[in-house]
Amino acid sequence: MREKIIIYMSVLGGIAVIFIALPIINVFASVGIGGLIEAMKDKNAINAILVSFEAAFFATLLSLIFGVPLAYILARKDFPGKSIIESIIDLPVVIPHTVAGIALLMIFGSNGLIGTPLEEFGVKIVDSMLGITIAMMFVSMPFLINYAREGFEAVDPRLEYIAMSLGATKTKAIVSITLPLSMRSIFVGSLMAWARAISEFGAVAVIAYFPLTAPSYIYSQYLQYGLEKSAPVAAFLLFICILIFISLRIASTRWKRYDKD
Amino acid sequence: MRKLIIFPIIGIVLLLALFTFNQNKEELIIFHAGSLTKPFDELERELEKRNNIDVRREFAGSIATIRKITELGKKADIVASADYTLIEDMMYPEYANFCIKFAKNKMVIAYTNKSACKDEINGENWYEILGKDGIKFGFSNPNDDPCGYRSLMVIQLAETYYKNDSIFNELIEKNSRIKSKEWNGKFVIEVPPTAELNINTDKIVMRSAEIDLMALLESGEIDYLFIYRSVAYQHRYSGIHFIELPEEIDLSNYSLVDFYGKVVVNFSTGKSIEAKPIIYGITIPLNAENKDDTIDFLILLLNETGQKIFEENGQIPIVPAICDNIENLPSQLKKYVVRE
Repeated sequence: MREKIIIYMSVLGGIAVIFIALPIINVFASVGIGGLIEAMKDKNAINAILVSFEAAFFATLLSLIFGVPLAYILARKDFPGKSIIESIIDLPVVIPHTVAGIALLMIFGSNGLIGTPLEEFGVKIVDSMLGITIAMMFVSMPFLINYAREGFEAVDPRLEYIAMSLGATKTKAIVSITLPLSMRSIFVGSLMAWARAISEFGAVAVIAYFPLTAPSYIYSQYLQYGLEKSAPVAAFLLFICILIFISLRIASTRWKRYDKD
Repeated sequence: MRKLIIFPIIGIVLLLALFTFNQNKEELIIFHAGSLTKPFDELERELEKRNNIDVRREFAGSIATIRKITELGKKADIVASADYTLIEDMMYPEYANFCIKFAKNKMVIAYTNKSACKDEINGENWYEILGKDGIKFGFSNPNDDPCGYRSLMVIQLAETYYKNDSIFNELIEKNSRIKSKEWNGKFVIEVPPTAELNINTDKIVMRSAEIDLMALLESGEIDYLFIYRSVAYQHRYSGIHFIELPEEIDLSNYSLVDFYGKVVVNFSTGKSIEAKPIIYGITIPLNAENKDDTIDFLILLLNETGQKIFEENGQIPIVPAICDNIENLPSQLKKYVVRE
């Protein structure tokens, strides 16, 4: 038994798996196949889930556009105030969700710093898809930035130098060497950010109650009808998310070949 | 290798510490309506001054508050709702067998200095102001929260009181799928499920609970908000003003019960609620342990201390409080209430 340590870790790890899986399995068990099918037939549930998926998708896309460049800078450059920026990025993870929603409202609401000029142009943020996207982006962006940054940090900067010594521009070196090598981290980061966005309730509910997102719909079903009608929708949402997670995780394994080992 | 055992041990010790944490002090758990937050906070401090107890309060919309007991199986020593009928409808007979009606409230319209037309609005023309282009008003989701369906009742009652049968149509029907019709001498308001409310969000701002809307009013997102007088009054130092409505429509006067009763709200669940004066109800759930502190809290609520706290917070106490099933009431409380 030289690998006693492995058994040992497996036992502890098993407890962790059970801790996470048990409540989820219990949701499915209490809902049953019938409940799941019932939820699938509920047009309002499908709509709410689609609203959540769509807004989370755009939130992740926007986070990619602005977050990945930032992650690269943070991974490669040292500059004064860097640790302050790093702490700011992590703040949304710590702020209570309702507070985050109210903070966003102060900026993006009709009387907010950004909301007022936008409203002049007829752009509506409160109670709109845009509002949901903004709230989701706020709470989920840190995940993407941190994952992408770790990905970039794992790529040896000397690889870029070699490419540049062979005649590549800095841009070309980043695009053809560093980005592909950190693609898996960026991808997993995007997935985590998307998932975090889907699960957000508090911040979204402050800034946009309508269109109804999946969490708001589930809560409203719970208040109106109790668990009997809300648990199936929750199980259905979980079910779709699990399917998406598993398939994307499988798809992302092909990037593993770039990983060092 | 041996040393690694330290990690699971730390884990178990941590868990045990968490379980035993806070258990050296008695706890009194109270679930209550959001609009009772301020007076209950003061009552909590009064009780903690007297007894060696840790009062833990959880507030939410009244429906969510009761669902915690009936659906989630959570335990509380005291449950207080902004609508006493919810205790009867949702908790009887399995989870409760008495209800003390202890305080009243009334509907008002709150606004801030940022609200458009704030200098013109009063208790007689509010529905015209609310209907104006560019004015946004808010109320909570009638499916989720008593303050929400009471807002609809106020607007419907206004039609009868002001003898103007377009008020509900202008404010509500034009901006949502909530409909009202006259049927058998009553006004029946049909509220579709939340996902089918189809609110025109350029006109009406809705959130699950009325407390959620206060932030939107304060930030200027909405101009006017239907809310309980006590809540508006408690926010008077943070720039919230309010107009009082005629008592024929503000659901405050017990002698107008027949007038209010002309309005009924029907929900997609099949539930139907008749407009009644706003009366708060409190009960001890049947599965609560018998604690002296529970009784002490209720005595504090029902005697002069509680009455004073409620008055100071803009809410009217019912003196003496009224109990429906007085025989089920703990005997120490009987002298504080009268039979219905």
